Amino acid sequence: MFQRRRTRVLLALLVVAAIALITLDFRGGEDGVLERGRNLATTVLRPLQDGVGTLLSPFSTAGDAISDLFGVRAENQALRQRVEALEERRRVIDDLQRENEELRSLLEIADRTELDTLTARVVALSPSNFEWTITIDVGGDDGLERGMPVVDGDGLVGRVIQVTPTASRVLLAIDPSFSAAARSATTGEVGVIDGRGGDPMVLRLLDPQARIEEGESVVTSSYLGGVFPAGIPVGTVAEVTDGSAPLTREVLVNPFVDFTRLHHVVVVFSTGIDDVPPFEGTEGLDFTRPPVPPLLDPDLVPEQDADEDVDEEPGAVGVP
Amino acid sequence: MIARTLVVAALLLAAVVLETALFPALTLFGFRPDLLLLTTVVFATRDGPLTGVRIGAAAGLVGDLLVSSSPVGLGVLLYGVAGALVGWSRPYLAPNSVTAPLLLAAGASVLSTAAYGVVSSLLADERVAAVLVVQASIAVGLYNALLTPALQLVARRVSEAFPLRTAGLE
Repeated sequence: MFQRRRTRVLLALLVVAAIALITLDFRGGEDGVLERGRNLATTVLRPLQDGVGTLLSPFSTAGDAISDLFGVRAENQALRQRVEALEERRRVIDDLQRENEELRSLLEIADRTELDTLTARVVALSPSNFEWTITIDVGGDDGLERGMPVVDGDGLVGRVIQVTPTASRVLLAIDPSFSAAARSATTGEVGVIDGRGGDPMVLRLLDPQARIEEGESVVTSSYLGGVFPAGIPVGTVAEVTDGSAPLTREVLVNPFVDFTRLHHVVVVFSTGIDDVPPFEGTEGLDFTRPPVPPLLDPDLVPEQDADEDVDEEPGAVGVP
Repeated sequence: MIARTLVVAALLLAAVVLETALFPALTLFGFRPDLLLLTTVVFATRDGPLTGVRIGAAAGLVGDLLVSSSPVGLGVLLYGVAGALVGWSRPYLAPNSVTAPLLLAAGASVLSTAAYGVVSSLLADERVAAVLVVQASIAVGLYNALLTPALQLVARRVSEAFPLRTAGLE
């Protein structure tokens, strides 16, 4: 009986404490006490996760190998076809690349692919099945900051949301709270792409009537104040459907990155957005606005008495 | 009592490390087991609601500190309540049943995961879809049920080596 009462009291205290913690977390923001607690937990657990991950990697790779075994033949066939298509495309791209370099040198535009990057190893994933984050083995000591984009060889992985001195947490692009400016690589139509957990990502175009077709590639855009360098591959259009709101369309995008097999990622330090160079030959020019002549000659407009102004009804127009 | 507390704390630490470092590669339908919740449920089944609340609160706090999109305190609340409810249901289980603890673990996992998904959706601006909550709840329930015998063995060893001082009163 005593134990039952004690349990009830403890449970009541727990409910009150949990509500207090939730409130404190909401009000604390990015520098709150609980955020520091999160940083501490990430820092303390990082070496353990790293060690256990390395120690048990044979088991995890064995799991991957077993699941791969069933699809090897079909995958091999698909890859052969893809290699042929890519070989054909490479020949065209070589010529375009040379032409691009020539034009860039003519225009003196910096190469936007020159990004400062840092390679990181993935040491853990989020314990929650409703959050898509990873922990990487680099942090503030390596120069990382919140908001930095993270990519891998296939394309966009996510952005840094938490930084401790030795580890960082990355919000994956498929997380429902992830959002980024993106555009179609073929038509250039811009929009906002959102993650949806295990389902394909959703691209919401600014122009709902814009033409976009299945198979088109979607890349990041620096439009709309996008934080990501322009041109990072995101995925391919899988389906174009009518949106939930009238006159809108949802473009479902299959990401290029396999988020279940992230081992190494690259953190991008620079934004990669070309600064607009100043116009040449504009030194010494006066850009101040010239005086605009009045539409009516002030001498021809009769002056009104102060008394007349007072007597007028609000909104009435005085006729001279 | 201190030794038991330390051992249970070490178990929770091991659970969270395995859950984040090993099980992402061993998913069931794309979902991972909830080892923190399973540890709570197994100890609550064995030792009663008071232990369930204590371990549930600690496990929830550990999980909350490693999640960015849900507020700290949500796991404390849900895992603590789950521990209490499982502990209170203990007298209604058949004493030597093999399946009852498995079903209890599966049921508690399904309900707790669903509650976590729904409440975190309500508290966040934009959260997971209802379909995903259902899928995750069922997958976690199944996975946790599969892992229950192994964790029961560990819990039994811990309880035998470090018995509760108030055992028998709960």
